Amino acid sequence: MPTAYPLPTNLSPATVANTASLIRIVALALISGAAIASRLFAVINFESIIHEFDPWFNYRATRVLASKGFYEFWNWFDPTAWYPLGRVVGGTVYPGLMATSGVIYNLLHAINLPVDIRNICVLLAPGFSALTAWATYMFTKEMKDASAGLLAAAFIGIVPGYISRSVAGSYDNEAIAIFLLMFTFYSWIKALKQGSALFGTIAAVFYFYMVAAWGGYAFITNMIPLHALVLILMGRFSSRLYVAYSSWYAIGTLASMQVPFVGFQPVKTSEHMAALGVFGLLQIISFAQLVRSHVSSQQFQRLLYVGVATIGVLGAVAFAGLTYKGWIAPWTGRFYSLWDTGYAKKYIPIIASVSEHQPTAWPSFFMDLQFLIFLFPAGVILCFRELRDEHLFVIIYAVVASYFAGVMVRLMLTLTPVVCVASAVALSTLLDTFVDPTESEAIEDNQNENGTSTPPTNGTNGTNNGTVATSTAASSKKASKKTGGAAEGMTLSDILAPASAPKTKPRGIYGLDTRFMVIFNTICMLAFFVSHCTWVTSSAYSSPSVVLASQNQDGSQHIIDDFREAYYWLRQNTAEDAVVMSWWDYGYQIAGMADRPTLVDNNTWNNTHIATVGKAMSSPEEVAYPILRKHDVSYVLVIFGGLIGYSGDDINKFLWMVRIAQGVWPNEIQEPSYFTPQGEYKVDDHASPAMRNSLMYKMSYYRFAELFGGGQAMDRVRQQQVPKVGPTLDYLDEAFTSENWIVRIYEVKKEDPLGRDLKSANAFAQGKKRKRTRPAVRRRAVV
Amino acid sequence: MHWRSFPFLLLSLLGTVLAAPPSFENTAIVRTVELGGAVVHVTTTYAIKATQPGAKVYTIAVGLEEKEKTSWLQVKVKGQQRELDVFHHPLDSSRNFHLLDVTLPKPLGLNATLNLVMDTLQTHATFPWPKEASQKDEQALKYHTDLFVLSPYHTAVQRTKLKAPNPRIISYTVPENVKDFTSDTPATKQGATVTYGPYNNIVSSANKEFIEAHQQRITAHYFHEQPVLEITNFQRAAEISHWGDNLNIQDNLVLHNAGPTLKGHFSRLEHQSQAYFKRQAPHALPALTLHLPAGIRNTYYYDLIGNVSTSRLRVAPTAPKNQRANRYSTLELRPRYPILGGWNYTFTLGWDAPLSDSAVYDKSSGKYIVEVPIMTPIPGAVVNKAEVSIILPEGATDVEFSAPFPAVMNRISTHKTYLDSTGRPMLTFEYENLTVMHSQNIFVLYKVPLAAHLTKPFVVGVAFFSLFALAIVARRINLTIHKKAKTL
Repeated sequence: MPTAYPLPTNLSPATVANTASLIRIVALALISGAAIASRLFAVINFESIIHEFDPWFNYRATRVLASKGFYEFWNWFDPTAWYPLGRVVGGTVYPGLMATSGVIYNLLHAINLPVDIRNICVLLAPGFSALTAWATYMFTKEMKDASAGLLAAAFIGIVPGYISRSVAGSYDNEAIAIFLLMFTFYSWIKALKQGSALFGTIAAVFYFYMVAAWGGYAFITNMIPLHALVLILMGRFSSRLYVAYSSWYAIGTLASMQVPFVGFQPVKTSEHMAALGVFGLLQIISFAQLVRSHVSSQQFQRLLYVGVATIGVLGAVAFAGLTYKGWIAPWTGRFYSLWDTGYAKKYIPIIASVSEHQPTAWPSFFMDLQFLIFLFPAGVILCFRELRDEHLFVIIYAVVASYFAGVMVRLMLTLTPVVCVASAVALSTLLDTFVDPTESEAIEDNQNENGTSTPPTNGTNGTNNGTVATSTAASSKKASKKTGGAAEGMTLSDILAPASAPKTKPRGIYGLDTRFMVIFNTICMLAFFVSHCTWVTSSAYSSPSVVLASQNQDGSQHIIDDFREAYYWLRQNTAEDAVVMSWWDYGYQIAGMADRPTLVDNNTWNNTHIATVGKAMSSPEEVAYPILRKHDVSYVLVIFGGLIGYSGDDINKFLWMVRIAQGVWPNEIQEPSYFTPQGEYKVDDHASPAMRNSLMYKMSYYRFAELFGGGQAMDRVRQQQVPKVGPTLDYLDEAFTSENWIVRIYEVKKEDPLGRDLKSANAFAQGKKRKRTRPAVRRRAVV
Repeated sequence: MHWRSFPFLLLSLLGTVLAAPPSFENTAIVRTVELGGAVVHVTTTYAIKATQPGAKVYTIAVGLEEKEKTSWLQVKVKGQQRELDVFHHPLDSSRNFHLLDVTLPKPLGLNATLNLVMDTLQTHATFPWPKEASQKDEQALKYHTDLFVLSPYHTAVQRTKLKAPNPRIISYTVPENVKDFTSDTPATKQGATVTYGPYNNIVSSANKEFIEAHQQRITAHYFHEQPVLEITNFQRAAEISHWGDNLNIQDNLVLHNAGPTLKGHFSRLEHQSQAYFKRQAPHALPALTLHLPAGIRNTYYYDLIGNVSTSRLRVAPTAPKNQRANRYSTLELRPRYPILGGWNYTFTLGWDAPLSDSAVYDKSSGKYIVEVPIMTPIPGAVVNKAEVSIILPEGATDVEFSAPFPAVMNRISTHKTYLDSTGRPMLTFEYENLTVMHSQNIFVLYKVPLAAHLTKPFVVGVAFFSLFALAIVARRINLTIHKKAKTL
């Protein structure tokens, strides 16, 4: 038996197994460490702070949960959100995330560790990413073996596609959801493989946790039934499938209905019908199997036809009837937007206005997955070669998630785990082939050899043979099915060898040079992957977006902290019940940092309310003022990046406000009137009158030109010169502007005590003469 | 003291003051008021002469309003360091003044003279006038005080000087009806100082008749160029750790600009152009410089929503032992936004300092002695309410303390943190109206037995050990119902 390099032969199998298990544990620990560490860029570069927008709400809710307890949280009605409507928070959130933090918080405090709730929230995502790595390891182990599992764990630990949603401070539902997703899938595979009700129940429990944590649970709700359905259609129905699915579905669905926000949706909405349908189908099939074992086959045939026909017709009629009667909710807009990418822009501009709901651009696949995206198809093909039940799962998952990731940027997140799994399978197969020291001997008689190779850790190469290349795919499949265990994998050369390969010519890998070259190449790829991940994570995904960073001239970091400056000013120096109006993006931040009531926030449940704000922002002052007064607005907050070139400001978002307002008041707000006659979006001298008179424009550029002291005022975001004579405000008054002018807050004036309209009151105060063209109005007022 | 004896005591006191022939005479009283923002420093010098041999107790009278404002008081012999004992008479509602007895260092012989200096700091003594100022306006304050310094003794000559921070005094009261005491102009202004007096031959003034007949209120209205700062609430927690050789101090402050409230609105444009031309509005506070102890580390400065990224710190190294620590770490902290009149800002400031810098172990008594500063002095600011907590190590016994001045309230309680099992003793002191002069140290003495030092490692060790033991047992328990579960 020739080997490419010598192997020790005097090791007992127990030693090898123990060492391997120790190495696995150490490797997993290191991977967890790397996963956590690479997510801490945000904390090290900035501070322990909650990021972006939604996390601020989660953080605020968690604080309520931690300080007041679960029941109080459950019944929490927040009167400060969606003023004056309020929001029933307990019934409109997925509480899993907050409950997790709350439990951790209480545990730590029970053992007298006074950890701040904010730090728990900030570090929850990195912590759970370590668990995700472990869950992915377990999952991939079921697919191939432990070495593939370790690779997959390492990939998911540092892949930017997942880091983008789980850096420290990104305290969002996705932070824990991916772990739950992977663990549910793992338990499902385990349940399916063993036909174990226990693992089915575990899958159900984690499914429940997932339902409580993330709206994306519908992905599991449809993935598992789809897998089961495909298995049935392929004729792979078994009692194992029946036990696994039934235990998962029954317990999981009942449990998921305990979440108030979900309620009766699992039996009422279309998204959940697939799971119910497959459940029914499984019952019918297993009943049919039962009948089949008791009656003769001829009778059974007849029964089958009649039964299938009746049940099919009945089911279809019932489904149609229920949908028609409204018992089953029709598909929602968000669902349609998954199939038609243009749908949201046309019908639900609020969804389309969120950048993470845009279709994914090609470069971002590479940015988020780097070389995994090339390995991914190879891994899927490898799954086809073996095609056990669990491989089918990966294939279905890959297809479905690829589609969704193409439709929406944010669904890249669901694609990432399967890419990691499939790539790990592919890469580990490659490494298995080339690390394996056995060399095939050029023997003619290789027909009766089977085509498996033993991983080098096995150490017992006496039973092995060197005819990897010549074995057929069929034989390898049989072999691996026979041996079945995770230790026996399939090697790349199996794939490379076509079934019709000439049997006389031996194939294989000879010598050290080939091995060295391939392995060196692979290691280089992995090294580049690591450096790419580090770079992407540190430069693209670790900015809290509440705090901006720039460089000083000497290279040191300069922090631009305007958001918190303005929010804290609001918190400290305004009345506690002062209502703040802003575009909905900032609602959660204002509630979280400024602790003031807001009109609209990131929980965009009321389109009309948002459109009202949009209308106020895009109307002239006189029109906006009554709207503001009716909503008790005390302060209006706008984001303006023109001074330092912060491009995510409100003027750039302004068209969405106009569009959303137009959706509700098509007669009053028209998008085209905000463009110049040439169709350009301008803020300079050529800006359209509607643009110039809009509240948003006025608030953004109020006294901006004066800052340049007579020089030409330049808007650095839009690279346009704004008019020298800036807009004037009659109904609002500047209350606060942050250091770099990013946040500008205006106070809404009260009605004039003398009953004049504020415009003429203002003109009077400035000593302007009243124009003599309005006597008619006065006379009428007297009468 | 029993309540029953109280009236008698009062009577006897009154007797000594009113009935007995006065044992002193004031040859001159000079009062100097240094007008400021939140804190006004008043120095009164009494040149006294004994009219009886062996007189040892000199009585000082203070108006009620002044008593109310005074947060710190100290009497010394001029030119000496030693502070004299002061006994405050209980308040008597029938009198509209307050009396204090000063025990002189040694009895005075007949006609012997002595100069006594009373230093007081008054807080909340000034108020902005006008009450509102726009961003461009200047800041003007008003200060009221009584014209005459009261005294139970006859006073030969008396002066009151009001020193404003700059010569631009808007107005001051010119007293009337003082012809009995002076023939010159009753008040003269020279530069930044307004002098009232000299007023001659004032009879014993600490009595109702004099006060009703002659006492009057004088007011100065002046420009003040620094912001008037108030710390409405100050909480300090000092945590002592012998294991870590660490004294952690964390302050929570609520800062309020007590100057004129901002009229109209804050315009950033205005603010930036003022900063550009270096003509900062006098009532705006853009930054605050604090002196922290030397040798500190891990300084943090944050508010309710996270780090304040604009502060700068220069740490001075710890001074060697047996040398006076005259170096400070300087923290230049910039609040998130400039604090204009009437605005608030809250923040938390904390640091770790080596415990060995402020603690010694007394071998003879087996006790640790730790000094904890009551507050970090903030120049020109008054602390309205302060709560200082000192958290001793877990298991500390025989706790004693020595405070430089009495607290409004103090208590001892138990505080649990960092894996504590029995909790740590916590001393809490509450104070009111603290100024720079109050930034002194509290000394705490306590014993920590060796067993208490070792409790925590032991408890944590046992907890981990039992966890592992549990895991070992759990792995060896087989709960499967069917032996061959894997045949499926």
